[in-house]
Amino acid sequence: MAQDSSRSGALALRAGAIDGFSGGPGRFARLDLLGSLASGRWLWTAPVVAGLLVLSIYPTIFLVALALSNSRLGRPFQSFAGLNNLLKAILDPAFQAALTRSIAFALASTAVELVLGVAVAVLMTRLVKAGRFLMSLILLPLMTPPVMVAVAWKLILAPVGGLANGTLQKLGLIGEPISFFGSAAGAWSSVGLADAWQWTPFVAILAYAALLAYPKEIDEAAMLDGAGPWARFRLLMLPFLAPSLVSIALLKLVIGFKLFDLVFVLTYGGPGFETTTAAFHIWRLALEQFDAGRAAAETLLFALVVGLVTWPLTRWQHRLEVREA
Amino acid sequence: MRPADGGPARIMQEEVVDMSNKIHLAASGGLSRRRFLEATAAAGLGAALGLHQVPAQAATKRFEGQSLNLVIIQPHVVTGRKLAADFEAATGAKVNVTAVPYDQLLAKATLDVQSGANEYDVIDYWFANVGALARDAILVDVTQWIERDKAEIQPDDYLPNIYDAYTLYDGKRWGLPYDGDSHVLFFNKEIYDRHGLKGPKTWDEYLANTKAVTQAEAKNGIYGAAVLGGKAPIIIGSTYANRLAGFGGSFLTADGKSALDSEAAVLAAKALKDVVPYALPTPLETRFEEGLPAWLSGKVAAIEFWTDLGVYSQDPKGSKIVDKWDVVRIPVGGKNTTPRLALNAGYGFGVSSGSKKQELAWELTKFATGAKYHRDLLLTTASGIDPDRKSGLYSPEYKAFAPKVQGVLDGALENAVPWPTGPDSPALQVALADQLALILAGQKEPEQAIADAHAAWTQVLGA
Repeated sequence: MAQDSSRSGALALRAGAIDGFSGGPGRFARLDLLGSLASGRWLWTAPVVAGLLVLSIYPTIFLVALALSNSRLGRPFQSFAGLNNLLKAILDPAFQAALTRSIAFALASTAVELVLGVAVAVLMTRLVKAGRFLMSLILLPLMTPPVMVAVAWKLILAPVGGLANGTLQKLGLIGEPISFFGSAAGAWSSVGLADAWQWTPFVAILAYAALLAYPKEIDEAAMLDGAGPWARFRLLMLPFLAPSLVSIALLKLVIGFKLFDLVFVLTYGGPGFETTTAAFHIWRLALEQFDAGRAAAETLLFALVVGLVTWPLTRWQHRLEVREA
Repeated sequence: MRPADGGPARIMQEEVVDMSNKIHLAASGGLSRRRFLEATAAAGLGAALGLHQVPAQAATKRFEGQSLNLVIIQPHVVTGRKLAADFEAATGAKVNVTAVPYDQLLAKATLDVQSGANEYDVIDYWFANVGALARDAILVDVTQWIERDKAEIQPDDYLPNIYDAYTLYDGKRWGLPYDGDSHVLFFNKEIYDRHGLKGPKTWDEYLANTKAVTQAEAKNGIYGAAVLGGKAPIIIGSTYANRLAGFGGSFLTADGKSALDSEAAVLAAKALKDVVPYALPTPLETRFEEGLPAWLSGKVAAIEFWTDLGVYSQDPKGSKIVDKWDVVRIPVGGKNTTPRLALNAGYGFGVSSGSKKQELAWELTKFATGAKYHRDLLLTTASGIDPDRKSGLYSPEYKAFAPKVQGVLDGALENAVPWPTGPDSPALQVALADQLALILAGQKEPEQAIADAHAAWTQVLGA
């Protein structure tokens, strides 16, 4: 039976090849597909297709269905809501503000951590002997679960009994403890600091890996020509790194949009709503107020915004790849 | 059965209950016909022999080999473990305890049923969510079971307003009270004495005391009060509820509408705002995880907290303020001169609709909330359990175990102010907590914040 199917597949392939010459590429591809189906080769792609169905298509359909319905967490799909949830989400000033904060944080944290990460990566290439030790050291924050990072920073920055306040008070630099989470600026700085502590190593490692392919001869030649370190970095190393950096920036941007754990543990979206990001806002809607329909609508809008913000970077990455090729 | 409880008389008494339960279970379809016949035969044999002749050794554990999953809030984890051990010793059934953060239990329980995972059999639910859990069919209606097992449960023994608030929705009962929470005001006598202060009776006195201590001792890291203002509704809402009750207000009117447009509601919010500059920095960051250690280490002079703090405060293992504290009822304010408590937090046990062993889950619920077991838990250090039954609150043992706390609760719980318990309660909690957080952050004036909360509540309740 297997022989039969492979024979018929081969025949179909041959037929496709002949027809392909006479009937154009579309017909060729169609017959190729038929041949593939007949030979059972499509089975090789089944795990990927199943994975896509389970992990991507089904959740998306479910999300859209939720967004178009009046759904509570305990009782989804109560009634059809049309575009009500989407309209409410679009017109909600709190959600608009949360989206803005998410975009601002994603962009700012990506920019800062990209600069810091590249600096660390360059430093690692310079310190060849200490490089491996540094690598192990900077892997630590990456291996720590985000929620533990948040708890650690909460303990460090706590106004009473916190390491930072305790040290500053012992040194006589402050009289009263500082409430790091008590103001918008303080809360964002704290969240940003914790995020940088966790994700700068991620950028550094990827940048370091890209730098390992950087040809030393060019650097040495430029040095012989009298180029200083900054000029060599700006004119040689940075253009070399550019395609990798764009990819890293894209990843970090998406990670920045996903900010949740740090906000949940450190600020709970406060003071007031100052650090309420889109992800946190949606979480509250779904799991505090149980409005699953509205939360789904906001999730769809959030995904759209993430897509729009990352789109230029994706285009740029594609252009660089084409140029390299 | 617990040998430790000893005595043939007790064993025989439990035998009778054991047989009676077998019949109940069989009759309600929880057991097979064979077991029903066994139970009936055992009952007949018992009657024929005159009960007292049944040897203790003949007793088999009722639910040997069975197991249950109990989801419990983290602060109840000590009682959860004790309950698992005691229930297994008594019935043979193993209880697997899952502890979850107190503010996430509703979501966990709901998702468990909604997703079809049906992992949990018994839910330790916050009473304010009873309506939401009932509407969404997460909890099983236990009205009939309560009626059936009335003699064992003794519903009349529950403090009436706790019993109704914790279990009643839409004219039906959805569980049994487990932990009768309310706040009282604890103060550190040593610190107050240093400044010639007395336990406050009004919110104005409380503010003056707090201010005096903080101004004098903040440089030494000691503050006049810890104000639990973390943004979770159960935390910041409880702190506000104390003031609302103290000023004579309530959350809802008698016909179920928002009562946040009252003068008391605004005065309560103002009282909350006024204490912020003098409280342990900062109220918005203070949940009970932060407030509790500050109190036990003598870093704050006062704290509004659940009544079991009295037991913690007297435990030398974790407290530096043993015998250095006292407690008063929640202060009054405005036109109100009658001390009132608020039913802050407070948990009940209910049977999950996803459970495949609902009768056994009901047995555990009855066991955990029974009069004797409740008294045992009240007398257990770090249990986190507060009185919900008259037989517990007014028992000589509890009076001896927690004399100060029992004194302030005596006669007060009966009139305590409940939180909204309807199906929209989660949305109401969040709307109020958000506005209160804006007050604490200094981003909104109390009048405006409470007006906005009232508008949100009116919209939610009217929807």
